[in-house]
Amino acid sequence: MVLTCPVAMGRTTRRDGSSPLSRRAVLRAGALLALGGAAAPLTGCSLLDREEPPRPDPLAPLIDESLRLAAGLRAAADAHPDLAARLVPLAETHEAHATELARVTGTALPSESPSGSTAPPPPEQPASRAATLSALRKAERAGRDSATAACAAAPGDRVALLGSIAAARATHLEALK
Amino acid sequence: MTAPTGTEDPLAAALTAEYAAIWAYGPIGVRLADAERKAAVEAEDAHRSRRDALILQLSTGGAAVPPDRPGYALPFPVTDRASALRLAVEVEERTAAFWRAVLPASTGAERDRALSALIEYAVRATRWRRAAGIAPLTVAFPGRPG
Repeated sequence: MVLTCPVAMGRTTRRDGSSPLSRRAVLRAGALLALGGAAAPLTGCSLLDREEPPRPDPLAPLIDESLRLAAGLRAAADAHPDLAARLVPLAETHEAHATELARVTGTALPSESPSGSTAPPPPEQPASRAATLSALRKAERAGRDSATAACAAAPGDRVALLGSIAAARATHLEALK
Repeated sequence: MTAPTGTEDPLAAALTAEYAAIWAYGPIGVRLADAERKAAVEAEDAHRSRRDALILQLSTGGAAVPPDRPGYALPFPVTDRASALRLAVEVEERTAAFWRAVLPASTGAERDRALSALIEYAVRATRWRRAAGIAPLTVAFPGRPG
């Protein structure tokens, strides 16, 4: 991550101010370069060491996604009680993923139950069983793909957990067939 | 094939797991019929492909290639369809664990291959669980030890 600063500075100065990259763009470039390593410090970089916004952990979106997937499964289980035995264990898995991701990233999960406020309001006319399962499969497929991408980009100490999360979401896709 | 120990080369360990998986599908396959036997043959083929790729990769890289053994101890006797399906679940879940252990030290294409194996074996374990009537169909952290 030593490259973060020189690369970003080089890009701003080389352009002679004709079309300078905004400070935000420089920070974004820095953030992109930093993705490979956890918490790359920008210390010693006088151009950028002021007003640095807190950078969210790259895994934060995955925590939100786990909670969303869990909420969707719980809402579907409420709408179709005959599916609850299949769906609730899958929701519990996503909640376990969120808990583990929060532990690894040192963040706090929302205090209320994930099945509470984050769940979409139940539709007046519940979707059919088949449509519900199809929507859940679509969500799990997207979740598998985002966990796979996160696994490819993660530092070594997180990659096994992300691999298990990608695999779990893939098995959900199978279990929802 | 028990569980990855973390002290040896994870690719060599994955190779020993693939040897054992291929061996185990012998007694599994003979207890299954029709679509389930076909699924067992496909599973065995997948383990053979990964075995061959690992042997090539390890020998090309100059690493020690662990040898196959003439036989492996099964965790329980396979006497009928039910025990064959249970063993198939175990084989897939255990080999998934060995590929998960490859992930931390891997990068690029090697990491992609390890993740593909972990996902594929976890999904196959779920299919075998369904065939065996085992609930739940999934585990929360596929491949994670204990």
